[in-house]
Amino acid sequence: MNSFLTRYSSTTPEADIRKAKELYGEDDDVSEMIWGSAGGFGNLAKGVPTFKVPAVPDPTSFLRMHTDDHADPSCRIKIKHGTTTLAFRYQGGVIVAVDSRATAGSYVASGTVKKVIEINPYLLGTMAGGAADCQYWETYLGMQCRLHELRNRERISVAAASKYLSNLVYSYKGMGLSMGTMICGWDKTGPAIFYVDSDGTRLRGDLFSVGSGSTFAYGVLDQGYRWDLTDEEAQELGRRSIYAAGHRDAFSGNTVNLYHVKQDGWQFIGNYDISELHYNGPGNVPGAPGGGYGYDVRVAGRSSANAPEDQ
Amino acid sequence: MDISFALTGKGYVIVAADTTAARSIVKMKVDEDKIKVLSPHLLMAYSGEPGDTVQFAEYIERNIRLYHIRNTYALRPPSAASWIRRSLADSLRSRRPYAVNLLVGGYDTSTHTPHLYWIDYLGTMSEVPFAAHGYGAYFALSLLDRYHDPEASVEEGLATLRRCLDEVAKRLVVTPEKYKVKIVDKDGVREVEI
Amino acid sequence: MPDGSFAHSQQRSFNPYTDNGGTILAIAGADFTVIAGDTRQSEGYSIQTRYAPKVFRLTDRAVLAVNGFAADGNMFVKKVKQRLEWYRHAHAKDMPLRAIARLIQTMLYAQRFFPYYVYNILGGIEEDGTGAVYSFDPVGSYEREACRAAGAAQSLVQPFLDNQIYFKNQTAAPGQSHPTHLPLPDVLAIVIDSFTSATERHIEVGDGLEIYVVVAKGRSPQGLDTMRGVQEMSARPDGDRMFVIRRDLKKD
Repeated sequence: MNSFLTRYSSTTPEADIRKAKELYGEDDDVSEMIWGSAGGFGNLAKGVPTFKVPAVPDPTSFLRMHTDDHADPSCRIKIKHGTTTLAFRYQGGVIVAVDSRATAGSYVASGTVKKVIEINPYLLGTMAGGAADCQYWETYLGMQCRLHELRNRERISVAAASKYLSNLVYSYKGMGLSMGTMICGWDKTGPAIFYVDSDGTRLRGDLFSVGSGSTFAYGVLDQGYRWDLTDEEAQELGRRSIYAAGHRDAFSGNTVNLYHVKQDGWQFIGNYDISELHYNGPGNVPGAPGGGYGYDVRVAGRSSANAPEDQ
Repeated sequence: MDISFALTGKGYVIVAADTTAARSIVKMKVDEDKIKVLSPHLLMAYSGEPGDTVQFAEYIERNIRLYHIRNTYALRPPSAASWIRRSLADSLRSRRPYAVNLLVGGYDTSTHTPHLYWIDYLGTMSEVPFAAHGYGAYFALSLLDRYHDPEASVEEGLATLRRCLDEVAKRLVVTPEKYKVKIVDKDGVREVEI
Repeated sequence: MPDGSFAHSQQRSFNPYTDNGGTILAIAGADFTVIAGDTRQSEGYSIQTRYAPKVFRLTDRAVLAVNGFAADGNMFVKKVKQRLEWYRHAHAKDMPLRAIARLIQTMLYAQRFFPYYVYNILGGIEEDGTGAVYSFDPVGSYEREACRAAGAAQSLVQPFLDNQIYFKNQTAAPGQSHPTHLPLPDVLAIVIDSFTSATERHIEVGDGLEIYVVVAKGRSPQGLDTMRGVQEMSARPDGDRMFVIRRDLKKD
């Protein structure tokens, strides 16, 4: 593609991206030097956000044709999908729990994905949708949050951080980004969760679940949720909800990653194998009654039949 | 989209189905009974393609009744479910198949055991402790994994059903406002308000 | 029109991608990493060449394996090498492995709307001397792992690796536990078996096998230097050592 032409034309998708960048006032010099440093050659090899776009009339449908395995299961470039993530606010902070499965079509591409992105010691982001989109933009968000700290001598609020991400993905709307994320943290206002997706939706809330297994997680989460949960109960609820989704949704599974956000930042609670949870439970964990979470494990030996005498 | 649930407990099966009959974006009726009483100890909730549902359910209802008249005793739940499934499977291989999803719940008076069968329009059948059809399944199945108890009393069973209905009311975009709930146990079939 | 142009615009479908088959694989040990790939390049049922390398040395302690669309893959490796050279000129040292991993992420993601059809596996020695493997999807999502297979026969090879490297679905003998890292000879045996088996059952795998081994500085190459068909590629004998083992695979 003729880079000189695209740089100054006003009708190409690249120009749209450029305009969108100008709209939210990105500092070009600063971002290029630090992000994707080319060892002092930042001016030659641009870091973000310059993207190569195919020279076709409709780049978005081109991208979809080659990468959307829902539209065409035989498409070549399989982008990793499928997830269950959840986060909820309660008296003791925020619980964030996610599964660890990544699927490409029906192949389990990985069972060890880190779907909680540690943006900084006070902010967590979750990953649902395109793995690369979430990983890349939430890392980028982490850098912008750090710059905010340096410029303003105070930590960015969860609201501002999530708004930054929301505006950023909105500027790419219609170009095929796919992300459904929860930005979770603790700021001056206390614990906060924002749901941000690639449509441009941004919602403040107490309880969210995102991904193909979210309905199953909601089923357990809603029924066990109270504001005055203890820390142990809240962690157990997060664990059980992801277990439930891992059990019922084929695109979710492998392990649970559990995080707890408190006033002094987030804390990693643990990684739990879902099969292990099914048969044996989380082990000796406060708040968890012994035994497996599995239905058949839980009701073993119980029968719905009446005894013959009480007919 | 129709929603139906069913769950077993100590000596009973509860079957619940929403009561709306919709066409396009219009609710045509809000008190439609979509649970047929097939015999003194047998219930069937049906949902799916409008038209097919009632036609198929009535065909099943009359034939189960015919069996009862001819033999003086009703088919037991496992046999009834097998016959219903086979009817649906035969229909699937005909020129115009019925597209109907079923939950068949019954109480076997000979073995004192409640039975619940989940059957879909393709003729897939499976005996289960609890079941759901429609979008409700996405919310209720994980919840039932967590809370269902095979030895629950009727009150506890209804409370668990209540959880399912509440969850659907909370999370599903278009929620049915009313459900018909029927219970079958050793004393036969009865309807309860929920 | 007489001049060869069309009266109204035409839509032509644009497909710049193909799949050139083959399989790559990497396994990290405690103080070494093995990165391997077959050398067959094919399109559909026809073999284009029996020797097209898919595994490339990036630095003294980093190796990149690339699978998918060969033209994209070769271009991508070329660009990564160029960026690493610039880094050497600017900083007078090689880029550390975890930084190369992040570089590859940003380079892949820069093509988010016109992706390289390539699956990358980066292997080598981390700054702390441990063996490491990083695997990537075509648009740059990545993860550090102990082992990874990608490409045509990934679904044949990865389950075997899960069982032999992670000991998935295996129970240790009473009173014993599975080792966290296997010794190099065991790993090499697993790699060779993976490829001979994949060659038997996948038509796009075969012809030749190239196995790169990177051994951390000061650690024993565990008899590797005397192995059949091995070639040492180390820059210095006192630094990290790199070897390549070339083997034949079935050619039918």
